[in-house]
Amino acid sequence: MSEPVCLVPETVPNTVPETVPDPEFATSSPNPAGGRCLRLLGLDFGSTTSSMMLAEVEIGRHSLTGRMGFGEPRILLQTDAVFTPFQDQLLDADAVATLMDQWLQLAGWDQSEQISKATPAVAGAALITGLAARADNAQMLARLIGERIGDSLIARADDPKLESWLAFMGSCATLSRAWPQRPLLNLDIGGGTTNPALGLNGQVSDCGCYFIGARHFRFEPGSYRLLGWSDIGAGLLKQLGIAAAIGDLLTADQVQQLVAVWVAGLEAIVTGDSQFFQQSDWHQQLLQQPFLTDETGGNQPPLVTFSGGVGELIYQYRQSGEWPATTAFGDLGIALAQAIVRSPVLSASLQHAPEHAGRATVMGLTLHSCDVSGSSLYLSDPDLLPLRDLPIVARLDFDATESYWHKALVLAASCRAGACVAIEQSTTASHASLKQLASHIRAALQSSEFSADQPLVLLLDSNLGKTLGQYITDWGCEPRRLFVVDEIPLRDARFVQIGRPHQHIVPVSFFGMNQEIRS
Amino acid sequence: MKPLKPISAIRLPSIPVSSAAEPELSIELMDNCYRFADLKQLLGAADISKAGERIAGLAAVDEVEREAARKLLSSLTLQQLYDRPLLDRRGRIDAVMQVNYDIDLEKFDSLANLTLGQLKDHLLASKGAEIRACGQAMTGVMVSALAKLLDVHELILLAKRLKNGASAKARTRVGLTGTLSSRLQPNHPTDNLSGITLLAYTGFSMGAGDALLGLNPAIDTVENISTVLHHLDKIRRDVGAPTQICVLSHIKTQLACLEQGAPVEIMFQSLAGTESTLTEEFDVTVELLDKAYNVMREQGPLRAGNGELESAENMMYFETGQGSELTYNKHDGMDMATCEALCYGLARRYSPFMVNNVTGFIGPETHVDNFEMTYSCLQDHFMGKLMGLPMGMAPCFTLHSQITAEGQQMATELLTAAGANFFMDVYLGNDRMLAYFDTSAHDDQTLREVHGLEPAPEYLEWAMARGIFERDEDGQLQRGPNWGKPEQFCQSELDYQRLLESVPAAYGFDNAGPRPADQVTRVLRSNQAVAREAIYADLDRELLAAVGPQRWLESRAATKHDHLSNPELGSFLSDASLQSLQPEHTDVQILISDGLSAEAVHHNIPELIPVLQDGLASRDYQLGMTTVVPYGRVKLCEPLGDALATRLVILLIGERPGGDAQASRSLSAYFAYRVSDDDRAEAVAFSGNPDIRWEYTVISNIYSKGLPALEAGSVIAEKAMQILGFGAAGNRLEARLKQSAA
Repeated sequence: MSEPVCLVPETVPNTVPETVPDPEFATSSPNPAGGRCLRLLGLDFGSTTSSMMLAEVEIGRHSLTGRMGFGEPRILLQTDAVFTPFQDQLLDADAVATLMDQWLQLAGWDQSEQISKATPAVAGAALITGLAARADNAQMLARLIGERIGDSLIARADDPKLESWLAFMGSCATLSRAWPQRPLLNLDIGGGTTNPALGLNGQVSDCGCYFIGARHFRFEPGSYRLLGWSDIGAGLLKQLGIAAAIGDLLTADQVQQLVAVWVAGLEAIVTGDSQFFQQSDWHQQLLQQPFLTDETGGNQPPLVTFSGGVGELIYQYRQSGEWPATTAFGDLGIALAQAIVRSPVLSASLQHAPEHAGRATVMGLTLHSCDVSGSSLYLSDPDLLPLRDLPIVARLDFDATESYWHKALVLAASCRAGACVAIEQSTTASHASLKQLASHIRAALQSSEFSADQPLVLLLDSNLGKTLGQYITDWGCEPRRLFVVDEIPLRDARFVQIGRPHQHIVPVSFFGMNQEIRS
Repeated sequence: MKPLKPISAIRLPSIPVSSAAEPELSIELMDNCYRFADLKQLLGAADISKAGERIAGLAAVDEVEREAARKLLSSLTLQQLYDRPLLDRRGRIDAVMQVNYDIDLEKFDSLANLTLGQLKDHLLASKGAEIRACGQAMTGVMVSALAKLLDVHELILLAKRLKNGASAKARTRVGLTGTLSSRLQPNHPTDNLSGITLLAYTGFSMGAGDALLGLNPAIDTVENISTVLHHLDKIRRDVGAPTQICVLSHIKTQLACLEQGAPVEIMFQSLAGTESTLTEEFDVTVELLDKAYNVMREQGPLRAGNGELESAENMMYFETGQGSELTYNKHDGMDMATCEALCYGLARRYSPFMVNNVTGFIGPETHVDNFEMTYSCLQDHFMGKLMGLPMGMAPCFTLHSQITAEGQQMATELLTAAGANFFMDVYLGNDRMLAYFDTSAHDDQTLREVHGLEPAPEYLEWAMARGIFERDEDGQLQRGPNWGKPEQFCQSELDYQRLLESVPAAYGFDNAGPRPADQVTRVLRSNQAVAREAIYADLDRELLAAVGPQRWLESRAATKHDHLSNPELGSFLSDASLQSLQPEHTDVQILISDGLSAEAVHHNIPELIPVLQDGLASRDYQLGMTTVVPYGRVKLCEPLGDALATRLVILLIGERPGGDAQASRSLSAYFAYRVSDDDRAEAVAFSGNPDIRWEYTVISNIYSKGLPALEAGSVIAEKAMQILGFGAAGNRLEARLKQSAA
């Protein structure tokens, strides 16, 4: 095992402008600015469309919150959304490879540098949803991404709550912070699903996923002549008693009936009406990840915003006053957008437009799929990073007893590739309580027979990582593959990835937001 | 812009062969004889008593001696002053003094036989044009001497008469009669472009920035300065305000930026009144200033024939302020006002667009209270105007002086009465980058309304079109419906929100008339109060005793007042303390001092020390007893380390508070490594300093929102391990760490 690496902030006396004659005690900024750039990449492969975004951000301590984070992103490349190349239900590997190569070339991406780890300055994620998330498709995409981008990117498939969260962060987190007292509910409406996310002051409190989308019915562009439908679409036709066949032309009344059901479903999400999704077996099928919150019905109704393809249509109409031609995109999206604008429940706050409505997911993927740690960490073996797909086996309070730690580390010991424990409520730690926590962890590492060469990641939301790591390892004297990563906002997620160190920080990505794990 | 007169063409007096040739400077007053060693002593004694002069030993001992000095000064003729150039420490007429002798010799001949007293009477009886003409015939020394004879009314009255004719023009004309302009200073601690944008938008929305949109950068690199210049240019173009931009980096950096095509519309430099300060501290020579002037004349974006409707007449911008020469101990025995007047004599050579006086910026070692700061500002404004400069004023303060917001506001009222061309606009007066307090756009607008003044005419036209100002039925200028609304320049509420999230210490944007809303003021002032309290609090022995055994020693600063007003005193142990120490030959000595914030010690030491001690103990270092020295400075490490013969002193010391309440509890850890005999050759080679004995590393911003105390303990312990392990600190350590990593 190599020596622990001390990630010390390189604080040097500020270069004080010469108008300050006595720099001795001038208060300097918490972090030297500049020189800490990270490139963020987002790849979004969906049932209908795919796109990519590349941005560059500077890492530094935020001058208001004091937390490490990203500065203003500089968007280097934002591709147009293109139809995901399918051959029947299978992704066309050659077409996908060509597409990715074109995008990366446009972005000036040097694959050899990334693969050789010559420039460890990239983080981000690829999100694979809908049809593209089928196991065979997802594996193929993960392989193609790995070959081109190396191990800095996580590829996640079928993670609907993550998708909802990303769409919120990518489209309306800023708007939410502009109205900090007002809940904000974003509905990300794509081809197959609607992903709601509720947040307050920029923080998401609940996510869900429903099979309500624009592409359950496919039409010949310019008319409502049916070209096909999904299983959910077939169920809806049956619910409404519409006997239609491929090639049939739906009447305006029939189209409105279809759209009305989707709108009723969206209104049920907004008003917290869970009964809607219990009306029939078909209604229950709409529910992929329930949106459990009852906060939407509080005293102050939430601002409702829209993202995804349908959201983009709505806000474009608000700006231009015009809709695209009938079924211009070959689906129900335009009709659904029109119906949303007519719904008093859904259109009450359309004057508050989110940013990036049409590219919310890829924007969220690029800019919000990873957090940056603090700059003083405990990394016993930085060369082991990145650590991928680590299960978060427990979330323990800072004052959890040794028996809780024992249980958590027994569970962690069963994960040979490494595991993670998130430590909550650490912001009021004292020297005594910190030493006690370290003592509990040391004892639990012994009692659980946690192997010294097995990676263990501890995540903290406060800035205590180095000191906790030092006490756990007796200031580096006890050999442990221990990584204490701090200043990370802890999320309800099942897995985490710790990226390679970049100067003094590591990027951290969460995924698997389907269930909560608590002690 | 006119061509520069060659330096060699400036006529100089001959230097007296010996001091014996100097006529005796003595005077009888009320049966007492007052003798002054030379003109420098006389000039110092004739001024009001200021902290800087007291430290330098130049202040009169009492009011009678001061009046004696003034009486003697009053009797000297201009010719006598001309014939007595104040020499530098090497007995030369230095380059700054040389430039000061570039005067209107014909006019001087007509005044040469007037005593200073007679000249004062003549000026008080004259109108602006004659006063201005006399100023052109005077060196900085003569102007300073004259200023010593003027009372407050006279300083204001004469300056007021000089207002007409003290304007200068770049894109806007600043300094016209009936106007009060401002420099918008959107400083941000990390040069964050969004933060800069919001502060600029806010200033413009309040009618500020007609003199300049000018930023003090946090990072003085060509790349960063160019980026910020282009950004300020974009803001100016987007907003449409007729003004000019500047980034106040070093003149060499700006020249490099201009060379690369950055919009250096106004060329900035800080000036000093002695050549040694100018060259050794500011890294600037008269030749370099000449070069910058000529480059701007030939290549500046606002030069004649470069596409602007009207070309600029002035493109240089200088900052000065009494005391900088003194704090570097390079004042060559001259008092602060005289050094300042010599700055103006240098500035005059370049027909600047702006000269900004920042008296009060340095701290209590030059100006300790409201009176000293205000009086110096009035002197400086008068002296600059008399020498033909477009003077703007920045009466300002740091929290470790006794200058208050109220005192600063009174100074601005007097300076507005005197006809200052411009003030600063720092949002809410709290500079987020330089940790000091200046005037704000609220102050500037209030002063306009109190004194019936308007912005520069080109800017006013724009601001009225934007609804920022409007005329009432009587033709009086009033704030318009868009005054104080920065969001008017944003594309959407989201753009505005993004900008809001990037500015620290912006306690709100609500206004009450031309003033900030009371809720905003209350947050601002309470944070200032907490920060100031941190400076004036004393170390709490009981609290610190709980951390473990300690040895308490004393510095040479016997009182808080001594400590704040004379930084040198805190750099040494008192004789008694020094004599109590014996060599201990330890590895590490922890030293705690309040520095400029005892609260920083109180809030961090109890959690930091145990972690640090545990970390050091893990490597079996020999550790001396933790030592506490109230009223200490960083250099205190050296006498303590020498006396104890320790390898490494770790000094935990309070930083100078800015305006943020939390940051006033910010601690720094200085590592002073005593270079061993084994490492000396390498340290000498690395530093180029043959006498190097100590190397320093610092970790700063130890407080709850920076590096918390618990985490700082292990960070400091690890850094100490590196220093002792590699036998190096500072840049030499960083180089060895890089070598080791490679």
